[in-house]
Amino acid sequence: MLLAAISLPKFLGIYYLQILNIVLIYAVFALSWDMLMRSGQLSFGIAGFAGIGGYVSVLCSYYFSINPLLSILAGSVLAALVAVLVGAAVLRLRLLYFAIVTLAIGEMFRIVIRNLEFTGGAEGMILKNAIFNGDAASTYWLSLAIGVLTIIVSIIFQKSRMRFALTAIANDEIVAASSGVNIFKYLVIIFAITSGLQGMAGAAYSQLYGSVTPEGQFSGSFTILPIVMALFGGLGSTWGPVIGAAILTIVAEALKLRIPYGYLLVYGIIMVVAILWFPGGIMGLIKKIQEKIRN
Amino acid sequence: MVILKTTGLTRQFGGLTALSDVSIEVNEREIVGVIGPNGAGKSTFTNVIAGVYLPTAGKIEFCGRDITMAAAHEKCHAGISRTFQLMRPLAGLNLIENVMLGAMFGRNFSLAESRQKSMELCTFLNIGNVERPISSMTALEIKKMEIARALATEPKLLFLDEVMAGLNKDETLEMMDTVRKIHSQGMTIVIIEHVMRVIRELTHRVVVLEWGKVLCEGLYDHVSSDQRVITAYLGEEAEC
Repeated sequence: MLLAAISLPKFLGIYYLQILNIVLIYAVFALSWDMLMRSGQLSFGIAGFAGIGGYVSVLCSYYFSINPLLSILAGSVLAALVAVLVGAAVLRLRLLYFAIVTLAIGEMFRIVIRNLEFTGGAEGMILKNAIFNGDAASTYWLSLAIGVLTIIVSIIFQKSRMRFALTAIANDEIVAASSGVNIFKYLVIIFAITSGLQGMAGAAYSQLYGSVTPEGQFSGSFTILPIVMALFGGLGSTWGPVIGAAILTIVAEALKLRIPYGYLLVYGIIMVVAILWFPGGIMGLIKKIQEKIRN
Repeated sequence: MVILKTTGLTRQFGGLTALSDVSIEVNEREIVGVIGPNGAGKSTFTNVIAGVYLPTAGKIEFCGRDITMAAAHEKCHAGISRTFQLMRPLAGLNLIENVMLGAMFGRNFSLAESRQKSMELCTFLNIGNVERPISSMTALEIKKMEIARALATEPKLLFLDEVMAGLNKDETLEMMDTVRKIHSQGMTIVIIEHVMRVIRELTHRVVVLEWGKVLCEGLYDHVSSDQRVITAYLGEEAEC
């Protein structure tokens, strides 16, 4: 399957590869959000970390002419670092309090960046070149690499003690702590890793287009859409959020071509129907069908 | 040898003093019963020792170490483990995975070692079919699984908080056998219990709490004939 994904540029045109880029970036957002959600922590901070990653990487390229790939890495590391610092302060909060703080992180950075001179203020910044000079196949491979990395991290976590720690914390923190789980430590680790992945995807996104703007890079849809995609695909699994991101991005794109002005309405109706009738998402549906066949 | 020693242990919740100046000792290999009417502070006592709450005042020494302010997971690492008054299985994990949690994080065992150790514990406690989801287990099985999860952390001291609650007569007898079996392996146990028969038959020594204070302590026969204990449970005789 991986080989098929790698060889796709041979068969697809630029337009389709660009859609796949978006699918992969959103898949990283949705899956990393879900990985944090497995510990019971609801984050609205995807856009914030995507924004931090994007700005750091463009600043690195713009002022220091650092290799774009390295600057993406720098964006990722800085997003993770911010998550550690913020997490150390706020990961004692739970539920909506934590969610609101994660939302605030992105907003704070957006407002600061909007008002700073060296970040280009409200207009943002434009790089001389997009990454790989905009070569469709190379940019696709970059997005694919980041997508695969996220999937691998998720699979490893699902097969290691990380899954036990996060499930225990999500189910019952008192039982988790009484069984020896250092809750705070595991929450900081998972928050840093998922934020680093979000920063990486955000940085890649900014390098794909060779530009950043405060509103574009800290876009609210970076937070809302991935959450909907994860719900649509099914929470708590590796493939659910990825499938959700793929289907919803492609459907949105197809609708955009047919109903240029009303596509968001149709998109919304699809989501409402999906959440009302398939609360477990697509993965939940597949599980149900499997159980029926078995019986 | 004294394994657990509390000195002047106090815990307040706002204006309510749930635990007041509790000083007790638990010796190695002993089974100590903690009894008292509802609201006497039995569960608060367990929760303070196990680190769910930190004490407002007082001191907890365990194996000669001061662990008063240690967090719950640190107290677990030190060797204190407990079960809960209300059943608290982790629904996201199946039977054996629930037990593995204790081995993995209580003792830092690898996944494979934890599974091995948890299998042994399940066999020891007579829990079969270990890959089941929690939803298919009976109350007795869940309680045993919670004991297995606690034992998987290899504790030196085990707190059993109302482990008989919700069990029928036969199940209670089976659970008492289980407790004896665990004790015969050399475990020190503190039992918080309402069922007097359990206290009478299992414990070496009884501590009676009332209004967060130690009312009296001693052998079961001594405690059960103490006028203050009878008053605490049954109320005072009306003056005629």
